Amino acid sequence: MARPRQASGSSLFGLLRPYWVWISGLVALTIASNALNLVGPQLISGAIDGIDKAGSNLTLFVVQFSTLAAGIFVLTYLQSIVQTLASERVARDLRTQLIARIAEQDFAYVQKVTASQLLTNLTSDVDAIKSFVSQAVSSIVSSLFLIIGASVLLLLIDWQLALAVLGVVPIIAGTFYFVLSRVRKLFRKSQEAIDWLNSVINESILGSSLIRLLNSQALEYDKFLAANTQAKTIGMSILRLFAAMIPIITFATNLATLTIVVFGGHLVISGTLTLGNFTAFNSYLSILIFPILIIGFMSNVVAQATASYDRITTVLNAAVPAATGSLVADIRGTIAVEKLTVQYQDRAVLDGVSFTANAGTRTAVIGPTAAGKTQLLYAITGLIVPQSGRVSYDGVALGEYDRQSLHQQVGLVFQDSATFNLTLRENIAFSNTVDDESLKKAIATAELDDFIAALPQGLDTVVSERGTSLSGGQKQRIMLARALALNPRVLLLDDFTARVDARTEAKILGNVRQNYPGITLISVTQKIAPVEDYDQIVLLMEGTMLASGTHAELMASSPEYMQIYASQQSTNDYALPA
Amino acid sequence: MIMRYRLNTTTASQSKESIWVALRRLVPLMAGEGRSIAIAFGAILVSSAATLTAPLIISHIVDRFITTGDYAGLLTWSGLLLCVFLVGLASGYTQTRTMGGVGRRILFNLRNAIFVKLQDLPVAFFNQNRSGDLISRINNDTDKLNQFFSQALMQFLGNAFLIVGAGILLVALDFRLGGAALVPAALVLIVTQLIGGWVKRASYKSLQSLGGLSGEVQESLANFKVIVAFNRLDYFRDKFARANTANYDASIRAGVASNLFIPLYGLASNLGQLVVLAYGIMLVSQGQLTVGLLIGFLLYVNSFYTPLRQLATIWASLQLALAGLDRISEVLALETDMAILDTTAVTGTALLAFENVSFHYPEGENVLHDVSFALERGKTYALIGPTGGGKSTTASLMARLYDPTGGTVQLDGRDIRSFTPQERTAKIGFILQEPFLFSGTVRDNIRYGNPAMASVDDAALSAQLDAAGLSDLLGHFRDGLDTTLTAGGDAMSLGQKQLVAFIRAALREPELLILDEATANIDTVTEQLLETILEHLPATTTKVVIAHRLNTIKDADEIFFINGGTVTPAGSMQNAIEMLMHGDMTS
Repeated sequence: MARPRQASGSSLFGLLRPYWVWISGLVALTIASNALNLVGPQLISGAIDGIDKAGSNLTLFVVQFSTLAAGIFVLTYLQSIVQTLASERVARDLRTQLIARIAEQDFAYVQKVTASQLLTNLTSDVDAIKSFVSQAVSSIVSSLFLIIGASVLLLLIDWQLALAVLGVVPIIAGTFYFVLSRVRKLFRKSQEAIDWLNSVINESILGSSLIRLLNSQALEYDKFLAANTQAKTIGMSILRLFAAMIPIITFATNLATLTIVVFGGHLVISGTLTLGNFTAFNSYLSILIFPILIIGFMSNVVAQATASYDRITTVLNAAVPAATGSLVADIRGTIAVEKLTVQYQDRAVLDGVSFTANAGTRTAVIGPTAAGKTQLLYAITGLIVPQSGRVSYDGVALGEYDRQSLHQQVGLVFQDSATFNLTLRENIAFSNTVDDESLKKAIATAELDDFIAALPQGLDTVVSERGTSLSGGQKQRIMLARALALNPRVLLLDDFTARVDARTEAKILGNVRQNYPGITLISVTQKIAPVEDYDQIVLLMEGTMLASGTHAELMASSPEYMQIYASQQSTNDYALPA
Repeated sequence: MIMRYRLNTTTASQSKESIWVALRRLVPLMAGEGRSIAIAFGAILVSSAATLTAPLIISHIVDRFITTGDYAGLLTWSGLLLCVFLVGLASGYTQTRTMGGVGRRILFNLRNAIFVKLQDLPVAFFNQNRSGDLISRINNDTDKLNQFFSQALMQFLGNAFLIVGAGILLVALDFRLGGAALVPAALVLIVTQLIGGWVKRASYKSLQSLGGLSGEVQESLANFKVIVAFNRLDYFRDKFARANTANYDASIRAGVASNLFIPLYGLASNLGQLVVLAYGIMLVSQGQLTVGLLIGFLLYVNSFYTPLRQLATIWASLQLALAGLDRISEVLALETDMAILDTTAVTGTALLAFENVSFHYPEGENVLHDVSFALERGKTYALIGPTGGGKSTTASLMARLYDPTGGTVQLDGRDIRSFTPQERTAKIGFILQEPFLFSGTVRDNIRYGNPAMASVDDAALSAQLDAAGLSDLLGHFRDGLDTTLTAGGDAMSLGQKQLVAFIRAALREPELLILDEATANIDTVTEQLLETILEHLPATTTKVVIAHRLNTIKDADEIFFINGGTVTPAGSMQNAIEMLMHGDMTS
């Protein structure tokens, strides 16, 4: 039942090399406990053959067999403990390696590979390898050992009978090969059906409000039913194959038993085989068949683990971004963006964008939906690497800087709220360089003082995913405080004001100017009125920069800007002082 | 009263019920399976009988023919043995096939039941349980049951039959020898009972630590950009390392505990053989037992202990499946508290009215306190107020995402609770603050849940969009209606998602359209287009707008200021701004 070894670069067995002490210990214990198992029938046959003789050796038999049973117990338990330790070690180390590798990657990589796939790599794929180590390694070794050992002993007792009995092995092997090669394809399909099922469940949970607003439960049920029916159909096909396989193999084993009875019985009658050996033959047969079954099933575990290991090595071998520069410098905050182009697949989300934001100035980025505004901020912080063009701080390219020291000085407030299951304090002082004073200043600037004071546990309140009814605006202000707590030289705001009411927005932006003098501000926004007095306004549309300049300049030169301005004019009466 | 939907996530209250009580829960799902189960049980009986008869025949052959040298008799009885084996083959196939089919269908029904229950439960259920936990609970637990149904259930039943059958035969063949053979099994069962709790706790903890591990990874990877931008890769590594080590320790403990069973049952099996041989040889030497019977007995001891050892190997997966069933049952046991009331008398003419409505979330303070107001047909209302003031909650009550904790919401003069979901959702359109899109194309999402659009072809859909002036918005998508959304939806910006949600709601032409910060991330030029579209909705459409941008609420017929549990009509735009500027904004 040897399966063709996968020809891929790093083999599953290569993975085990660092654990050779554990694995050898495991193999040694396995062989030892199985060797003891083989002694059992010998003792039994001796005892039965000794019946006609004097009964004096019964005590000896009891002592021998008890010792044997105790020995098997101790060895199997030891083996299972070593097995657990080895497999859990492999799993733990593999996870650590994966995380270390992911931590070297940039945001673009995680975005491309997706968090859910990496989660699968870290959980189910590692689990598949864990079962390989815990089950397959020792099972295959012990099965091979038992098959060879039992066969040799059978041949030693009576080679003719042994050959007749071993004749069923090809039948079993053939059945396995036939069934498993078909089942493996079905397993893959079944996994796809389960993935489908899960995605329907996931969407029905994440979109639960929408489904209830549209009363579309029946629609979701139809989707689910289709996926569930598919899963059932594939399950039934797998069942049909397995339902045939196990009885056929059992029957083949029974044929061997029949051979022993008929042929072995003949040998006993003709006096060439003792009754004890006849019994031993039956015992060895059951020892022989079980490992063949095990190897058949384990070939599946090996196949699954190989597929999982291939996926894991893809992550481990993925190219990491070129090492960042080593320049550690206090930046003044002049940001230059030159001919920046960012592509996703074949589509440019930013196309040759250039502008400069001088230290201590305020720049607004305005543009319609899907203009590439968020991507621009990601490129400026180095979260994504542009296909061409460059971003520089104080005239030095982004790549030259030590990334850590740069991130210490550039605060980015994301558009979507990302909170961690930590206390408010830990969420805001997320960077570990934040001191109490910076924390206090950031909280005050983001106008969070009253909100935090109203919480029974204040800053020590744990922020969870949902439930603790943080409103959209509160979450956004927490995100701002997190960026400000860095005491940054550059502050990047991504549509920060969308979910904050006008009064709070005005106050917060005033606070920033007052508490963080000299900061360079780049703000992605929809509203012109609050940014009219900014030093520069950049107009983006579908990835290209249409215009840049002061409000007055753009009003004079850019019809698109004027259109946006006009769209907001009707409410100018109510515009609030910035 | 507010229903508690929070599912139990602590270790403390695991159910203590036996396997059989847990399995009884599956009975309702077995409806219509009576015939199949009867066939399967018949097959199990026949196949177990065949398995058990074989050693009997063999010992008979040894005693009668081999020891006496009767080769002809041996051949005749061997023919009988072959027939028994063939019966075993046929019944074995029937057993696996039918019982497996039953298991598959039970799983199918169980999954359907869970899904129907999920669809039946209100939004509060989803808000009271973390979505990540819920997804993992439902995906993983059905998977554990799947493994149980597809593999362990048949083995479990088949082995149980074999054990009972072999046990009975052992005692029937020879009372003393049989009884002696069963002593080690009895001892090992007692030990199982004694250490069962320890093993279960250890396994449960290891499962929990695995859940914790994937929780950490999920949270960190979903927020990876924050971790990178704030230099906290150390946080990522440390937190993971802690979870990884915790999982390692818990798994080792669980492994050491649950791995005890296989060697233990192996020991019992060997002791059983030892007892039979020692006692048997004694009986043979006293002439009370034949050698053939002793050999047959040894085979029966194997028939008894081999399935017992197999039960030990599937024991862990059985425990997992039962734990999974426990947790699924917990979901199935929940009932929605948002029943449909009998039709009540019609009072008033307003499209929607709040009458002395109070509301609070579970374990929370009142968000609304004794609030009354009415919305007239065809008018536009704006809800303003500080963040966290209760605007979204008020809107959710209008659409019956929640029921008020006091007072009533009237729709068309009737208690909103007396409408069927069809009637209610046909009248109300709601664009949520966090737009949600299903995987598929923009077209699929626009059509989604709209009965009028379900049977309409692409051309007619486009015509509809043209007529409603919605086609102009499609320019924001690379491939128009055919733009596909991936599961993560990362390729689509927040503004684009809001546009899809807007088109979806506008196309339904509801009587009441609620926009909860529905255009917050859309540029103002596009927003003007949206306003035009809203203006072209039928004159009877009532609109409720929640927004921070003043231009989006400028056309409102009435503005409500919501804060501190009250809903106050602002009167004029100027007054509304006054309230916003001077209101208590952080409560």
